[in-house]
Amino acid sequence: MSLSVVQVDYKLSRSLIREVMDRSGQNLLACYQCRRCAAGCPVGDETGVTPDRLIRTIIFGDREKALSNLLVWKCVACYTCGSRCPNNIQTARINEALKEMGKEDHVEPLLPAVAAFHDNFMRSASHFGRINEIEFMGLYELQNTKREIKKGGGWKVVAGALKSSARLAVSMMKKKRLHFRLNRIRNLSEIKRLFRKAGNGPGG
Amino acid sequence: MQIAYYPGCSLHASSQLYDIQCRKVFRQLGIELKEIEDWNCCGATSAGKTDYFLSVALPARNLGIADSSGLSEMLIPCSSCYNRTLVSQKILSENHELKNRINTELSSKVEGKVKISSILDILVSRADSGEIAEKVTKKLEGLKPACYYGCLLTRFPADIKISDDVENPRGMEVVCKALGAEPLDWSYKTDCCGASAAVNDTETSLSLMAGILKDAVARGADCLVTTCPMCQMNMDAYQDRVCDMYGITTKLPVFFITELMGIAMGFTPEELEIDRHFVDCLGLLKGLKLV
Ligand code: SF4
Ligand code: SF4
Repeated sequence: MSLSVVQVDYKLSRSLIREVMDRSGQNLLACYQCRRCAAGCPVGDETGVTPDRLIRTIIFGDREKALSNLLVWKCVACYTCGSRCPNNIQTARINEALKEMGKEDHVEPLLPAVAAFHDNFMRSASHFGRINEIEFMGLYELQNTKREIKKGGGWKVVAGALKSSARLAVSMMKKKRLHFRLNRIRNLSEIKRLFRKAGNGPGG
Repeated sequence: MQIAYYPGCSLHASSQLYDIQCRKVFRQLGIELKEIEDWNCCGATSAGKTDYFLSVALPARNLGIADSSGLSEMLIPCSSCYNRTLVSQKILSENHELKNRINTELSSKVEGKVKISSILDILVSRADSGEIAEKVTKKLEGLKPACYYGCLLTRFPADIKISDDVENPRGMEVVCKALGAEPLDWSYKTDCCGASAAVNDTETSLSLMAGILKDAVARGADCLVTTCPMCQMNMDAYQDRVCDMYGITTKLPVFFITELMGIAMGFTPEELEIDRHFVDCLGLLKGLKLV
């Protein structure tokens, strides 16, 4: 059995820890690696990276891995980790902060469909102040299709994804769960102002 | 009695039936739901995953409108909207600088005084007081629901205390018992169904749903009951695929709590629009002679 030695550049690690702590509002330094979070994380098996591992990665200053790993992209925001952590660390908030940081650093999303979903949800909210599910799903599928085509001939992937969405849409229509009237708020300018003010970091 | 009401986007779209049921059932309990003026989308999970400021500011606008409505309490039936709004209120009570930044943009300012209630907060108090049992005209005898809470009713990405037990909540069981049903004990009541991943990371969400369904079936449940439109839609619309993929042979109707309330109070399935489910519900209700 071989032992690997972890190399840490303290300067890098200190600045990364500070940045993630400021942006997520979570005290990463309180983590004592008890792994209660890991035991409850529903995507931990799939991602390989559990909340405690992610925190360790940040503490070691590995920015590249911290910004782009499966937990950041597969976290389903169930808040199990945070509600069980004896030190009140909300890893879901850490994942959100890392997503924002990755975007600012122009890191390609590891799971582009997940990014497209949430981005277009917000786009749809900004258009009318409320979500119009048909518009939202249209925006989302359009972005996925464009990406796959750009990647070069991913027609099978595109067709597969569209088929899955179409299947859902058809059964929703049959069950009268597809809504065709436009949902829109009156004071849209107020929403637009909030959106313009966004993107300036954590509440500041 | 009047209370403020925030339906949220899904109750005005794919889960409109839940909106209709809430109004009917609450009126029967003597509570009139007053929808707040010109409310906006709360940003749900997506706001947090894209922009922290918006995840606080979008619910804040609704909080401002509710604060100026003159009503002291607001019902938010959707778990996701409820969670986001409560978290926003909590953050703003602690961060005055952020509150001022947001308030400068709002015509109705956030004060933080309106009490945010989940649908269970209100129903459990009415079950405890005996008011629900009083309105029951048809006991749900023989019905064995697995009460499914999901994530966002009990867990928050902030330090928020709730009246129920976080790991083993029992409020929904209290309500079901008041209706004459026999809710079962099971292990997956607060597990995540992956609704936010259903469309963009389907495999993950299907595997999470499989765990939930398998346990409910193994315990002998004949239906699931939930308060969250995200969970309801996910567990209902994708159940065929989950069952196919994971070899589950029993399908379970996924009821909104308001449907069980409504049936027990004597509403017809048509009045409650129960035909808008993916997995058939009427067979079970008819078999038990509840409709
Ligand atoms: S539960 Fe909290 S303290 Fe324990 S390993 Fe996870 S984050 Fe660290
Ligand atoms: S919130 Fe995310 S990281 Fe935490 S337990 Fe849930 S899926 Fe895992």
